[in-house]
Amino acid sequence: MTASPSPDLDAKIPAGPLTEKWDRHRSALKLVNPANKRKYSIIVVGAGLAGAAAAASLAELGYRVKVFCLQDSPRRGHSIAAQGGINAAKNYRNDGDSIFRLFHDTIKGGDFRAREANVYRLAQVSNQIIDQCVAQGVPFAREYGGGLANRSFGGAQVSRTFYARGQTGQQLLLGAYGALMRQVGAGQVTMLPRREMLDLVVEDGRARGIVARNLLSGAVEQHAAHAVVLATGGYGNVYFLSTNAMASNVTAAFRAWKRGAFFANPCFVQIHPTCIPVHGDYQSKLTLMSESLRNDARVWVPRRPGDHRPPARIPETERHYFLEEKYPAFGNLVPRDVASRNAKEQCDQGKGVGETGRAVYLDFSEATEREGKATILQKYGNLFQMYEKITAVDPVRQPMMIYPAVHYTMGGLWVDYNLMSTVPGLFVLGEANFSDHGANRLGASALMQGLADGYFILPVTVGNYLAQLPPMPPDPESPVFNEISRQSEERVKGLLAIGGKRPVDEFHRRLGLLLWDHCGMARNEAGLRQALQQVPEIRAEFWRDLRLPGSGAELNQSLERAGRVADFLEFAELMILDALTRTESCGCHFRQESQTADHEARRDDRRFAHVSAWEYRPGHQPLEHRESLDFTSVTPSQRSYQ
Amino acid sequence: MSTAKAPIRLTLKIWRQTGPDAPGAFREYPVGPLSPDMSLLEMLDVLNEELTRQGEEPVAFDHDCREGICGMCGAVVNGRAHGPQPATTLCQLHLRHFKDGDVVVIEPFRAGAFPPVRDLVVDRGAFDVLIAAGGYVSVNTGGAPEANTLPVPRAAAEKALDAAECIGCGACVAACPNAAAMLFVGAKVSHLALLPQGEPERARRALNMVRKMDQLRFGNCGNEQECQAACPKGIKIDNIARLNREFLRAAIKSEET
Amino acid sequence: MAWVARTINSSIGKKAVMAVSGLLLGLFVLVHMLGNSTALAGRDAFLAYAAALHAHDRLLLVFELLLLVFFLVHVTLALLLTLANRAARPVPYAVTGRAGGGAGIGPGSRTMLYSGLFLLVFLVVHLVQFKFGGRELPVADLLRQVLAQPLFTIFYLAAVLALTLHLSHGFWSLWQSLGVEHPKYNPLLQRGAVALAVLTGLLFSLVPLAILFFPDFLR
Repeated sequence: MTASPSPDLDAKIPAGPLTEKWDRHRSALKLVNPANKRKYSIIVVGAGLAGAAAAASLAELGYRVKVFCLQDSPRRGHSIAAQGGINAAKNYRNDGDSIFRLFHDTIKGGDFRAREANVYRLAQVSNQIIDQCVAQGVPFAREYGGGLANRSFGGAQVSRTFYARGQTGQQLLLGAYGALMRQVGAGQVTMLPRREMLDLVVEDGRARGIVARNLLSGAVEQHAAHAVVLATGGYGNVYFLSTNAMASNVTAAFRAWKRGAFFANPCFVQIHPTCIPVHGDYQSKLTLMSESLRNDARVWVPRRPGDHRPPARIPETERHYFLEEKYPAFGNLVPRDVASRNAKEQCDQGKGVGETGRAVYLDFSEATEREGKATILQKYGNLFQMYEKITAVDPVRQPMMIYPAVHYTMGGLWVDYNLMSTVPGLFVLGEANFSDHGANRLGASALMQGLADGYFILPVTVGNYLAQLPPMPPDPESPVFNEISRQSEERVKGLLAIGGKRPVDEFHRRLGLLLWDHCGMARNEAGLRQALQQVPEIRAEFWRDLRLPGSGAELNQSLERAGRVADFLEFAELMILDALTRTESCGCHFRQESQTADHEARRDDRRFAHVSAWEYRPGHQPLEHRESLDFTSVTPSQRSYQ
Repeated sequence: MSTAKAPIRLTLKIWRQTGPDAPGAFREYPVGPLSPDMSLLEMLDVLNEELTRQGEEPVAFDHDCREGICGMCGAVVNGRAHGPQPATTLCQLHLRHFKDGDVVVIEPFRAGAFPPVRDLVVDRGAFDVLIAAGGYVSVNTGGAPEANTLPVPRAAAEKALDAAECIGCGACVAACPNAAAMLFVGAKVSHLALLPQGEPERARRALNMVRKMDQLRFGNCGNEQECQAACPKGIKIDNIARLNREFLRAAIKSEET
Repeated sequence: MAWVARTINSSIGKKAVMAVSGLLLGLFVLVHMLGNSTALAGRDAFLAYAAALHAHDRLLLVFELLLLVFFLVHVTLALLLTLANRAARPVPYAVTGRAGGGAGIGPGSRTMLYSGLFLLVFLVVHLVQFKFGGRELPVADLLRQVLAQPLFTIFYLAAVLALTLHLSHGFWSLWQSLGVEHPKYNPLLQRGAVALAVLTGLLFSLVPLAILFFPDFLR
């Protein structure tokens, strides 16, 4: 660890007042002549919200686009699982919302660890996103008069969340997917599904393409382009159990890191408060119950530790509505990090419920009485069904049991205001970058950011890069390309050649547990140091004792997983290092050494009002760079939801 | 989750096929004792870990979100696409719906338009081709009017969402005795035909998607309703009737000669 | 007019033609059933109906030719669709466990091909017996003569059963294929189809049953 490096990262934030930065910047950016656009090719990796939106928008502009995704179809990106909604500052409810208020809530929700200019731009663009999605035929919820409906969400005191039942992410993704497929049909986009990016090709200091593995044939392919866009999602699966899809991984981002892109705030991992608790050793993933449930449900545990009575037999006076009592202003709608930490605290005190004691109740009985069962079912019917399907318990009759789970990673590859990483020509969008959510993401903001990046920001900023690019036809057969391709093939062969005894998930599970215990909801120096020591041990065992059946020349799902776990095993160290370095508490990152008297996170703005961006150095510990965070329009305050 | 349940043992008969052109056959695998709270895919995870330890190749199957929304998973379990539970994807099918000692036959979705890839994995790329043929509204980024400009009756939005919930898993094709894609196409055509935003391309969309569907050699609808019984999202055959109506109306009204 | 051929050639077009031809054939069956039912009013009423029908020979011929066309179209398309459907699933399932749609349509839908083929065989026999044969006898006596043989009684009753099955699905399915659908009226269409099919089956089976059990019927 280098001691306190001086801030050296320039985010290229345009000059001028906050409210005018984006407009001025757009007007000043260099443009590519419409007739010349078809001479440029762009690679987009990932086809979730950000990737699909970017690919469709770039193709509409006339660029030639190649899109890569892991799954069999670009309609499957994990954005599809986002349930609750998408924020926008439309102020349709006349409740005093504004772009500034959305900006303010988001930056405060992120505990003042996000870049002001980016977040303001996000709030500005939010309204255009809704317009765009409605025009695509996204069937948002409507009022009887035909206007769009809104609901409230954690961390805000206005109703600004647009939604489509409990499957907003699905509907938005299918809108972007439709736009993408339209361009595929028109021949502007080449779609390459079932491909996994194995490496980034950087030549003459610029991103020139990727090396990808065809997951069906095993062939390692070389794809060159004028710019590379990563929209590859988050790395929550480093914990093994998370709400992410099974294939979500860090590989693309991590490989880019090893080629020179800085990785920012890797320790910022959001633990979502309302998930279905773990039930068995072979559980493969955790299922999220939308935060929107907290609108109508009350969170409680028995007042007395060790009270194992069924919930119906615990009288009202013996129930502890801990969020309502502790945070009277926001009650059950406090931000995610606060809700999660409090649930954990209650369980640590022995008040947890359910078989494992690692759960709290989420109770709808009062709302059902107030509004009627039909209304509640109309709002949350599909979530109730999902819960019942998994647990065989009907939430109308019995309160749900929930527990926090790893959900979203605010950390990601460092990007400047133009969404470009420290590797020129490599752009990073959505969850894969770090830019907009600081140390904690508010509900209904991920969809907003993914679409803002993809539809409205990247298509403009990428043009500025291409317009200044020296003429260079992409060459997928250059010596650098061939060398990187060879290295990728070697790595695949290396995995297959280990010839040990144990299946890949065994190592992944161990890594996950270690991180959950020591780099999860609460972190301290001793635990982090212990984890930092144990990760290399697991990694060494992995490379000694992994068994991979089958070959590299066919569909081999164990091999795919092994490649991703190998990267997680390296990446975990970076995460822990970052958590160790940031000795303050902020948002999701709770260092037990830094808390207030009533156990709230205590920020240290004097020493940590910065982004930590890590540079890969072969054979050395990663080097920390800093981007200082300057606040001109909001005053960082200790967050209070009381 | 609330009460401890007796573990169960099952005999799995799983279709194994090493490649698209390789011959396939069923293999039998006894599994258990397993927790009835485990999902069917988690059971396959356990089986695969065991096979790996024994040096055998694990069973290939598609899956991703494991919460019933990505549409990636799917297989025919005891003759039913996504298994015996209504409105359930394979990843949400829990072992509690089976009895101790049951024989469970698991085979891939079968349709000429969904060629086999390996074991339980098939190629559903035909669905993407169908969407590319017209399953969208042609609006470029940036060209959208203010979102509340066009009022949409609440009932229309709800009905459109009922259809738009399709996850593209292919169970409708797998369950259809004729391997028809009418529910999939019907759902997309309905979703957009029910909204004012879809109106300008309404006729073109129905004609192009149906023509593409016929080219891709899906079967014909026999109105047997197996698709709606298998659909994990409960999408109804009303959408097929609407597709028929939209197509016939478009054929009659369009100015194509 | 290329669009007409293109439309009819499409999967939905073929089904629409199936539906329209099926509807017309179904209407004929209903009229035929009502005509036959005059037998229940006695020999004289039955013979009077037959005489009235044959009083308009030319018109009858036109209708018969039209019926033949609808019939050929219906059968040809059914066979074409069946072949295409078979080809759409080249490798069959090892286990098929049908759900039956859960809409109370019953066994009609999955047996359309078989009930249809049986009706085709029946129709040939029926036409040979009543349309082209036995012209020397009054139709009431011809009917008694044919149905006095238990084998034919069984054959006719089986055909009535096949017809009931076929119509129970067909009378609903044709609206679906033509896109006639409304949440309020769908249950009526579905239940109405089954009711109409059962009624048709009952009325058609009364005559052979009466001949079997009442020796003096139509005498």
